[in-house]
Amino acid sequence: MILHPGVISLIIGSGIVLLLVMFASALGIKITRGWDIKSSSEEQLSFERKTYLISTLVQYALSFEILSIFLFIYTAEDIHTLLVGAMCATGSLNANSFGFPTLYVKVVAFFVSAAWIAINHLDNKAQDYPLIKIKYRLLIAVLAILIIEFILQLQYFLRINPNVITSCCGVMFSEKGKGLVSSLTAAPILPAEILFYSLLGIMIANGIAVHKTQKKSFTYLFSIFSFIFFIASVIAIISFISLYFYQLPTHHCPFDILQKEYYYAGYPLYAALFTGSFFGMMIGIIEPFKKIASMTPIILQAQRRWALYAIIGLIVFALIASAPMILLPFKLY
Amino acid sequence: MALEKHRNILDYTLQALLRRKFKNIGIILVFTFVIFMLSSILFLSYSLRQEAHLILQDSPEIVVQKMRAGRHELIPINLEKDIRKIPGVSSTEPRYWGYYYDSGAKANYTILGIGTAILKNNRLLNGRMPLPHEKNVAAIGRGIADVRIIKKDIGSTLYLQAADGRWMNFNIIGIFESDSEIITSDLIIISEDDFKILNNMPEGMATDLIVHVSNETEIPTVAKKVKEQFPDSRPILRDEIIRTYDAVFGWRSGLIITLFTGALIAFIILAWDKATGLSAEEKQEIGILKAIGWETSDVLEMKFWEGLVISLTSFISGLILAYVHIFFLGASLFAPALKGWSVIYPDFKLTPFIDFYQIATLTAITIVPYIASTIIPSWKASITDPDTVMRG
Amino acid sequence: MIRTENVTKYFNRGNPDEVIAINDVSIEIKKGDFTVLKGPSGSGKTTLLSLIGCMSRPTSGKVIVENRDVSRLPERFMTEVRRNTFGFIFQQFHLIKGITVSDNVMLPLYPTGIKPSKLRKRAEEILINLGMGSRKDFPVQKLSGGEQQRTAIARALINNPDIILADEPTAHLDTHLSEEFLSIMRNLQQEGKTIVVATHDPLVYEKDCVNLIVEMRDGMVKDIIKKN
Ligand SMILES: Nc1ncnc2c1ncn2[C@@H]1O[C@H](COP(=O)(O)OP(=O)(O)OP(=O)(O)O)[C@@H](O)[C@H]1O
Ligand SMILES: [Mg+2]
Repeated sequence: MILHPGVISLIIGSGIVLLLVMFASALGIKITRGWDIKSSSEEQLSFERKTYLISTLVQYALSFEILSIFLFIYTAEDIHTLLVGAMCATGSLNANSFGFPTLYVKVVAFFVSAAWIAINHLDNKAQDYPLIKIKYRLLIAVLAILIIEFILQLQYFLRINPNVITSCCGVMFSEKGKGLVSSLTAAPILPAEILFYSLLGIMIANGIAVHKTQKKSFTYLFSIFSFIFFIASVIAIISFISLYFYQLPTHHCPFDILQKEYYYAGYPLYAALFTGSFFGMMIGIIEPFKKIASMTPIILQAQRRWALYAIIGLIVFALIASAPMILLPFKLY
Repeated sequence: MALEKHRNILDYTLQALLRRKFKNIGIILVFTFVIFMLSSILFLSYSLRQEAHLILQDSPEIVVQKMRAGRHELIPINLEKDIRKIPGVSSTEPRYWGYYYDSGAKANYTILGIGTAILKNNRLLNGRMPLPHEKNVAAIGRGIADVRIIKKDIGSTLYLQAADGRWMNFNIIGIFESDSEIITSDLIIISEDDFKILNNMPEGMATDLIVHVSNETEIPTVAKKVKEQFPDSRPILRDEIIRTYDAVFGWRSGLIITLFTGALIAFIILAWDKATGLSAEEKQEIGILKAIGWETSDVLEMKFWEGLVISLTSFISGLILAYVHIFFLGASLFAPALKGWSVIYPDFKLTPFIDFYQIATLTAITIVPYIASTIIPSWKASITDPDTVMRG
Repeated sequence: MIRTENVTKYFNRGNPDEVIAINDVSIEIKKGDFTVLKGPSGSGKTTLLSLIGCMSRPTSGKVIVENRDVSRLPERFMTEVRRNTFGFIFQQFHLIKGITVSDNVMLPLYPTGIKPSKLRKRAEEILINLGMGSRKDFPVQKLSGGEQQRTAIARALINNPDIILADEPTAHLDTHLSEEFLSIMRNLQQEGKTIVVATHDPLVYEKDCVNLIVEMRDGMVKDIIKKN
């Protein structure tokens, strides 16, 4: 365990958020048990009022999750000097087997809590709370993920041992290494770029189709594509986008672009990617709710709008990612 | 449209806060103080660490010391020849340094005897450095210049007692005024020859040896070879020193922050209490707002803005105060706790160092708990039944 | 315009202090009506007004406002109906102290996202119509009783409501000011607005413009008098 300000703030913050969501989930369970929309009892009224508290709690939790992803990466970056062999955040995250899983779970927690808020938003638009049960079941899932996140994060910081040599991005993202990540970085760049941009083209076409018609097949497809595209983009960042930002043919780190040296370009880049993929994925996730009579017009409208957000997000992402390829002199081939 | 709505509610919130400024002044003061303390700790430890990094950047890759019975002892200079033969070593140099206790000022100085090695990264504001064989001259740190009973300046004389009890006098020819005072403020630099006389050092010995290695990646290998060839030596790697520094700084500030959580919890309880204790007037105001057409979520938003305004006001004032405290007032409140080893720190000036990360960390330990503690009271206020205002 | 069907409202239902404030009330108010809810203290006038005005939900029965059943709506929709359809005038005026007359008048529409400048213009127009133009930048606590009420009326009109609800509006006014209030109401009625006033002040319910009197006793409707 290292007693470091960043570590303390992450643990305190995650602990608080966990407590808030635990409380919200307990309320949620109580509400689903006694919920009766037809009743005008005082109890039902107090349930309806508690839904406001729950959504406020989850909204605050989501804001912290966003802060926490960056704080976590930054803390990893900051403690690299304490670890033998670590030269940046990647090295610190590799210090034990909990580093990267913690980061992944944080990203999942972000998506799931954002999804909860989006679904809650839709539910609030209907007059009969059609999604109340689904919503509070999903809240339990949010809670489970936050618990996992808290445990993984705690384990990661507890088990950091400054004397064990870790492998850094130089090794992890190098083309000579073994394993999945290395084979990704070793992939030939031109085909990878072609693949990436084709996928982007398909996404945009599909997004426009969803925006126009909201047909079931389109929306589901778009969701799947958004998920694939999210993963593909992270790979693309490691495999070639980062190279253009760093102007180095071998530097594959996905975190360094968050640094001042690269004009914090990573922030808008990841923000656009996360927003675009999130709305893209949500479009298919809410498709089943169309069947509920009071939700049909709400879902149709949401899909139309979210398809637009997704397209905009992805285009912004692609523009930022391509900017150094076009504007800077550095060329890979 | 949606944006205007939020602006309108924010406008109203600001107006309401100004109407009730005295109610919130207490919480803002306490919150400011909490943030001031925490950010002072963070600023201080980070800039100390930054200073250390700055200095160590130019320091030698490896320092070789000789050990006997677990203690550091003088090293024979002729080891240099053998070390230079190790592949990867580009050059070596002997160093002469030690400490000097000044009983008059009750302070410990660091004394460095320079041969060919010059501290490249230290700028002399006034004067120059002693030459390797120049007699009876010295360059001293600002800290020493000020701490001595009679203020020393260029041209005056410094007296030091040698190992055999004789007093040696040194003409001050330079005073350090560097960006990173932490290292130079207690430093005295004299020539190698004077150093040997002052400390009665035997010929052919040095305090330690520094070894330059041109290729970063070969440093551990070189260190290993040195250790193999001279089992009684201790090679110290620069990276290891950086690591130790960082661990100490991180650990100390972490420890203080942990101790500080007690205060933080007290503050959160206060914030909770303050948020729960709505005055009758405020309660009625919320009832009126709801009766005339505000929705529960609008009141919640108002409460959110209120929390944000209070925490941002406190956050920014706390931050500014801490900045002034650390970088202009020399961390006068708790420098002794964090600096520890240095005896001389009257004029301790740190280079301002502050970044995103520190701000994010501070946000996570101050604003997050504060906002969390106000959620439930805010919600309680927001669900006020509009019907109640119909009855007085 | 407004219809209640067998509306019942309990307070503290199931507790020893259970009260039945409204008991099986069915009334209908047409567009343009000037209605008075009349009855002794505790007869349920305020409660009925708050049910009609979407401030609270009935325990049973239906409240229908402009052909929409509002008796089971979630709170956020109730607020929406309230904000779009009703203007309220309370017995104690309930102005917010410390801010100016026009700020008070604008308040109901802050959360709708209308530009403040536009909102202010509308507020000032209404205030001028009510003869309050010169008082618009006054802090409300410095106003006289009559001026306070006119501010409250202006606030009730800011959303251009179809229905105006007033609870004991003349309780704190002298005869002269009460007459003045009633003439404002009559003008609004002539503009086509529906007016519902709860009161036991004969000055109000004996006025000619009143064309529907609902007399209440112990939460029940005792008598309905229609005039034309
Ligand atoms: N929140 C409440 N809890 C319990 N009882 C209530 C509540 N509000 C009103 N009541 C009761 O309901 C009944 C009707 O009250 P209401 O205020 O509607 O009467 P009212 O006709 O307006 O009387 P007044 O002329 O004095 O204003 C009264 O017996 C009152 O005590
Ligand atoms: Mg009443």
